[in-house]
Amino acid sequence: MTEDRLIHEVSEIFGRVLDEDDITAESDFFALGGDSLLATRIISAVARRYGVELTFEEFLLAPTPAMVAKRIESLGP
Amino acid sequence: MRVVVVGAGLAGLVAATRLATAGVRTTVLEARDRVGGRTRGIEVAPDRWVDAGAAYLGHRHAELNALITDLGLKTTPTGMVGRSRFALDPGPPRTAPDRFPPLNAVALGEMFDALDEVTRTVRADAPWLTPDAARLDRLTAADWLDRTVDHADARRFFPLFLGEMMAADPADVSALHMAFYLSSGGGIRYLNAFEGGAQQDRVDGGAHQLCQLLARALGDRVRLSRPVRAIHQDGGDVVVHTTGDAWRCDAAVVAVPPALADAIDHRPALPVRRTGPRTAPGGAVKVHLVYPEPIWRAEGLSGWSVDAGGPMMSTVDDSPAAGGAGVLTGFVTGARARRFAGLGHPEQHATVTAQAARLFPELPAPRQIHVTDWIHETYSRGCYAALFGPGDWVERGPHLREPHQRVHWAGTETSPEFFGLMEGAIRSGDRAATEVLTHY
Repeated sequence: MTEDRLIHEVSEIFGRVLDEDDITAESDFFALGGDSLLATRIISAVARRYGVELTFEEFLLAPTPAMVAKRIESLGP
Repeated sequence: MRVVVVGAGLAGLVAATRLATAGVRTTVLEARDRVGGRTRGIEVAPDRWVDAGAAYLGHRHAELNALITDLGLKTTPTGMVGRSRFALDPGPPRTAPDRFPPLNAVALGEMFDALDEVTRTVRADAPWLTPDAARLDRLTAADWLDRTVDHADARRFFPLFLGEMMAADPADVSALHMAFYLSSGGGIRYLNAFEGGAQQDRVDGGAHQLCQLLARALGDRVRLSRPVRAIHQDGGDVVVHTTGDAWRCDAAVVAVPPALADAIDHRPALPVRRTGPRTAPGGAVKVHLVYPEPIWRAEGLSGWSVDAGGPMMSTVDDSPAAGGAGVLTGFVTGARARRFAGLGHPEQHATVTAQAARLFPELPAPRQIHVTDWIHETYSRGCYAALFGPGDWVERGPHLREPHQRVHWAGTETSPEFFGLMEGAIRSGDRAATEVLTHY
C-alpha cells in the first residue's frame, strides 16, 4: 500500500470516530475534540484493520493520521 | 382549574411554574422540609457551595441552559486539565496523561465499540420497541459484558465506566436499560466527556439554586413537609391526601421517582406498577473532600482519579469557581455504594481519608468531609435515577408516561431524552404541564 493510500485510510478512521468530515493528514486528534474514549476507538480500529496494536502512549505522541500511518508502517506485520 | 403537583424537585417545580403562569390554580406538595429533590447544596466555605446531588450539564441540555439564564444564574466550566491518577491494579497508583487509563487501549476500544453499537440500536423514545428488546431486556449488563467482551482490561474497566455513567452495578440493570440510558443521554461520547460533553459545566453557586428560585416565584403555592399518602380519583374528581389534609383538584402531576410514586396509595390502583422486584435505586453516594484550595492543580493534576479498590470509584475537581475552597467530589457507586452506605460515619470518613491519601499522597488530609447517601434518602430512594432491571422496560416502559386517568407523570425517569439528568427532569415537567393544559 502506498503511504498516501494508508494516510487516506487512517484519515477515514479518524473522521468516522470523531464524526468529522474534513480530516487531513495533519489533523490533530486532540485539537478536534478527541478524548481518551475516542482514542481507544481509533486504536481498536487500527488494530482490526492493520494488526498493529498502539498503546495510549504511542497514540499520544502520534495523534495525526500521518503520524499514525508512520507507526503502522514501522510496526506493521 | 386546580392542579396539585406532587414533589418540589426540578420536574415538579417546572411543571408548576408553567401551570401557574397559564393561570391554573396550582399547589405543590413536597414531603421534605426543603425543595430541590435530587439537587441539594452544601456550603463548604462562606457562600461557597458544592452540589451534593445533580451537578453537571452540557450544551445539549438546552432546557436547563435556558432555565439557568431565565433565573439569572450562570454556569461555570468543570475543570479537567492535567494528569490523572489510576489505581486499577495492586501497587501504587499510577499517574497518566489526561484521562488515559493505564490499560490495554485496543481492549477498551473494542468494549466501547460494542457499547456504541448496542446504544445505537436502541429506540430511546420507546425502548420496548427496539428490534432486539426482548433479549436485551432479559440480560443484565453483566451478562451482556460476559457475552461481548473478553479482554481482562475491558472487563475491569466496564463496571467503573457504568458506575460513573449511571451509578449502577452491571448486575443491577438490564442491557436494554444500559443501552437506553446511554442513548438517551446523547451516546457514550457525549455522556462521558467533560469539555464538549455532559459534564462540561456546573451551575455557578450550585444547582440547588434552580429549585430555590423556582419555588420562591411560586410563593405559598409550594407547601413543604407534606408527604402525599394517597391519590383517590372518582370520576372527574381527584383528591390528594397528605397526613391530615386532603386537596381536591381537577388533575394531579406526580413528579417523584418511580418507587415513591408506587408508594402512594392510588385508587383506582395503578394498572401496572412503576417499579418491580428487579428495579433498583440509583446507587450513588457522593463524597466531598474539602481542602483550603485546589492544591492538586499546582502539581499538574486534574483531580480526576479512578480507583478499582474504592470506595470512591472516581474523583472530580468541583472546586467553587470563586475560590475559597478546593473540592474533590468522590463518586461511590454501584455495589460498593451499598456497602459504603452501611458503614458508620467515623468509618466512612476514615476510609475515604485513607483512600485520598493513597491516591494523592501530595495532599494534606481534607479539612472537611461530607458524605451524601442518596440510596437511603427516604424521599429520593436513589440517585442519579431509578435503575431498571431485567424485564422492567418491556413490562413497565409503555406505561411510564401514560396518564392514570387524571394523574400525570413527571420526573427524570419519564423522559426519553436525558433520562436521569436535570435536563430530563425539566423536559418531563414541561411535557406533563402541556398534557394538563391541553386535556382539561
